[in-house]
Amino acid sequence: MTIALRMVRDRHRSTGWWLVGVLALVLFTIALYPSVKGQTEVENLMRNLPDAFRSMIGYDAAVPLTSPAGYLHARMFSTLAPLLLVVFGIGAGAAAIGGLEESGRLEPLLANPVTRSRVAVERCLAAVALLTVLAVVFAGATLGLAAAFDALTGVRLSGLLGACAAAWALALLHLALAYAVGAATGRRGPAVGVAAAVAVGGYLVYSLLSLVEALAPLRYLTPWYWYLQRNMLVHGVPAGAVVAPVLLSAVLCVAGWALFLRRDLR
Amino acid sequence: MQGDPVSGPAIATEGLTKRFGALTAVDSLDLVVRRGEVFGYLGPNGAGKTTTIRLLLDFIRPTAGRAEVLGGSGADPAVRRQVGYLPASLDVDPRWCARDLLGFYGELRGGHDPAWVRALLERFDLDPARPVGQLSSGNRRKVGIVQAVAHRPPLLVLDEPTSGLDPLLQHEFQLLVRELVAGGATVFLSSHVLPEVEALADRVGILRRGVLVALATVDELRRSARTRIDLRLAGPPSAADLASFAGLAEVSTTDTTVHLVVAGPVDPVLKAAARLTVQAIATHDADLEDVFLTYYQGETADPRREAGR
Repeated sequence: MTIALRMVRDRHRSTGWWLVGVLALVLFTIALYPSVKGQTEVENLMRNLPDAFRSMIGYDAAVPLTSPAGYLHARMFSTLAPLLLVVFGIGAGAAAIGGLEESGRLEPLLANPVTRSRVAVERCLAAVALLTVLAVVFAGATLGLAAAFDALTGVRLSGLLGACAAAWALALLHLALAYAVGAATGRRGPAVGVAAAVAVGGYLVYSLLSLVEALAPLRYLTPWYWYLQRNMLVHGVPAGAVVAPVLLSAVLCVAGWALFLRRDLR
Repeated sequence: MQGDPVSGPAIATEGLTKRFGALTAVDSLDLVVRRGEVFGYLGPNGAGKTTTIRLLLDFIRPTAGRAEVLGGSGADPAVRRQVGYLPASLDVDPRWCARDLLGFYGELRGGHDPAWVRALLERFDLDPARPVGQLSSGNRRKVGIVQAVAHRPPLLVLDEPTSGLDPLLQHEFQLLVRELVAGGATVFLSSHVLPEVEALADRVGILRRGVLVALATVDELRRSARTRIDLRLAGPPSAADLASFAGLAEVSTTDTTVHLVVAGPVDPVLKAAARLTVQAIATHDADLEDVFLTYYQGETADPRREAGR
């Protein structure tokens, strides 16, 4: 695990800043909850908004926006959490091979007694580990701060932790895509570009398809639907929201690994 | 080509070919580097030297032919453990210091001898705690040299090793390589400048546009090298004086000095000069540059091939 540890150490400083950022945003978001709690106007406002907008921000009529579950889902789990984790995942996945190779740092490493396969596997694991650390810190901060600001009433603990796991899985999927493109091309740009395009495109498709009832079955094509289909804090986590992205990630990583072993380095 | 890991050749290639699209970077290369020799791999920039090294180390795969390193494949960690590679430019994380780099590579290689590494750092006057990104290009080159030899590899693959080093450090580097060779190491030394190779190599291969155009010992090259001789005469030479030098490779004059370039034995010059009043003779060391250049001639004077790319 020497190579994986080295990658974790090389990225520990930037990951540290990410952790600080995540903690600050979680604190900022949850600390605002007490001031939203009693305001019924918010709920009335939501009812008057167009469906499309409501679905985009994860509004669920059964869960008032002013309840802890409604607030956390709308402010945190439909926006902030997946966004941060996906962006971090894409960065880590693209750096694992694409970034390393493009900067010319792969060949000196490969001149050592290591196989390409080992480099590919260890750096993939390191990227996943970094994402997992960020997700765990996010989950811990959310749980702890929600408890501190009295924002856990009506929230199922399994739902909260499951939602964190689902956000992690969604980010893992984009990490794996960035990793695979980077491993196949040896470049960072396409890795970030493709994964970011899939993230943005997937989100847009999810938003648009939730408007058109006839196209509803197609929603299953976007990972954002797996993740956002319901308020997990209240209704629990659909198994597919975690299992499907993890399985797809595994397929992508293996594909990237296989292409990397077969091609010429740049 | 035999696959003997102990007594076989250090490097052996058979019809090794690499094409990038229409460009043939390495063309049907047959090369044998024997154990314990210093092999100079010469060629102008873009001749395919680095491509050859990348093929040897399995960074890229041959279009045709094969390459064997220490009786095995350059992809095999057991082989790479015995190879010290100095890339043309050492690209590592600029935040790493030499200690990070050597520690990391040492772990991958199964441990460095700390006393040897310390001695190397002292010898090249490197501060192991300075981040590589803050080092001058010469100091970064030294870090590259230290990491390449830190595990005392039996085979050194050096790509333009002394570019960016001042003459003193070049000398220090040459001493180091000679020590390692005396200890039994084999060196594959790629370069586009002759003195670097001439100082160290036993045998030289000259690569031009991916094709090995010459393979000779340094002595053989020297013997076929041209000699430059300047004769300073008492007065300006007459046409008849100059006629006696007919048949030499080059004859020219400035004032009272006759400049001669002789290919092969210098005896005809001495015989001809005996009839003149020679005040001084200056001979310039046989310069491999001249030999080298003859293999490169046509590099730009062959538009047909250039256009074919």
